[in-house]
Amino acid sequence: MKKRGIGLGCSWYGTGYGNGFPDVSSAFVEIHDDGSATVLTGAVDVGQGSNSIFAQIVAEELGLESQDICVYSGDTDATPDSGTTAATRQTYNTGNAVLKAVRQAKSSLLDYAAHKFSCPTTEGIELKNGSIGVKGDPSRQMPLADMVFQARLAGERFISAESSTARSTPVDPETGQGAPYWPYAFGCQSAEVEVDTETGMVRVLKVVAVHDVGKALNPTQVEGQIAGGVTQGIGFALLEELELHEGKIKNPALSSYLIPTALDVPNIEALYVEDAECTGPFGAKGLGEPAMLPTVAAIINAIDDAVGVRITSLPATPEKILQALAEKKRGGEC
Amino acid sequence: MIEINLVVNEKPYTLNVEPSERLIDALRNRLGLLGTKEGCGEGECGACTVIMDGKTVNSCLVLAAQANGSVITTIEGVGNRRSPHPVQKAFVEVGAVQCGFCTPGMVLSAKNLLDRNLKPSETEIGIAMSGNLCRCTGYDKILRAVKIAAEEGAK
Repeated sequence: MKKRGIGLGCSWYGTGYGNGFPDVSSAFVEIHDDGSATVLTGAVDVGQGSNSIFAQIVAEELGLESQDICVYSGDTDATPDSGTTAATRQTYNTGNAVLKAVRQAKSSLLDYAAHKFSCPTTEGIELKNGSIGVKGDPSRQMPLADMVFQARLAGERFISAESSTARSTPVDPETGQGAPYWPYAFGCQSAEVEVDTETGMVRVLKVVAVHDVGKALNPTQVEGQIAGGVTQGIGFALLEELELHEGKIKNPALSSYLIPTALDVPNIEALYVEDAECTGPFGAKGLGEPAMLPTVAAIINAIDDAVGVRITSLPATPEKILQALAEKKRGGEC
Repeated sequence: MIEINLVVNEKPYTLNVEPSERLIDALRNRLGLLGTKEGCGEGECGACTVIMDGKTVNSCLVLAAQANGSVITTIEGVGNRRSPHPVQKAFVEVGAVQCGFCTPGMVLSAKNLLDRNLKPSETEIGIAMSGNLCRCTGYDKILRAVKIAAEEGAK
């Protein structure tokens, strides 16, 4: 018989290295005389899209388009260290370093422009659509490229180096007190499953995932991270088990360690909540790892809802489910 | 060494290959077609997918000598930056690429499906793409992109 059930899973997750470990990212920015900018950072984009995020951050600050920004990343000869692409930290931590760096370069540009436009302060200087000028005064506007070019001839360069360190203190082992992580990521997912009581097979029919991302700097990437996380979560819940024998991995191949295929993924509804994180770049915080966490609990709870058995070790293989169903029958709970 | 003749991306080639040489090695090392990726090397992940005589194959499981006389399409033969294939266009539009390692194989599997079936159902798309593993995207946007490409192609 095939039985259906629905389960809910919630998660909170401290992002960054945590527990007082120095969590530092750095970035170099230069604004060029062709109206473009480059950003150099050690952050490695493994597909999650950090390079796009850094281009967006620089473009937003300088009133340019993200295709005007050239991002050099992960070159140990040329780029400053930004730590690992791990701990859900690149958008938040390196994003902060990039934002600080571009603001520093921009601040010298604004000083130069204020002088050029005969303004007493930089207050009214605006960078918009590739132009720089005095807000509300059409006579004092010029392309950003021209301003940087003039500055260049006058010996001025708009180059900056900045770093950003995440807030983290170690936890006192005696009292358990401390502030190990900042910020925290929150998420909630529900899963609908169908359990075949003859075979113990579980099919995930639908997952609805909602995550607090602070601010979605790139909504397409947010959806992609959520769907990727949910699918890894499905593998974690139902398929993936690293088998060890005397310290050796027994299944070090995709033929023996199964991960979800296109046929194993359900309809995934990826949603997000934007509750700005005041310490993050434009309110953003990380999403990478948290996206897979609630999936596991949601699926295990949905199995319980469907057939009334509690699976307490992962993955919830057909064998474990059949065994639990048989034990339940023996116990006469049916 | 064995002499083989094959057509790759509409160009004829004559190659002298080792008897044990795999098709993926001939494509990458002899022809410099590095778009074909080697993932697992045992026919599980589909990263090395190419189209051989109208069928998708894992080029890590085909000997170069077996490809004698065949017509092969690799990712280099499918669209380019200026005029992308509808599948590539849809992948970019919906954001179906993360790390990109599976993408050449994914595009070729999708292209081959659409070459044979102009209006695939969601199940048919799922089956056609199920031989290509992806660890980043969760397949969601990939499947959506193939659907969009099918709808565009059917117009």
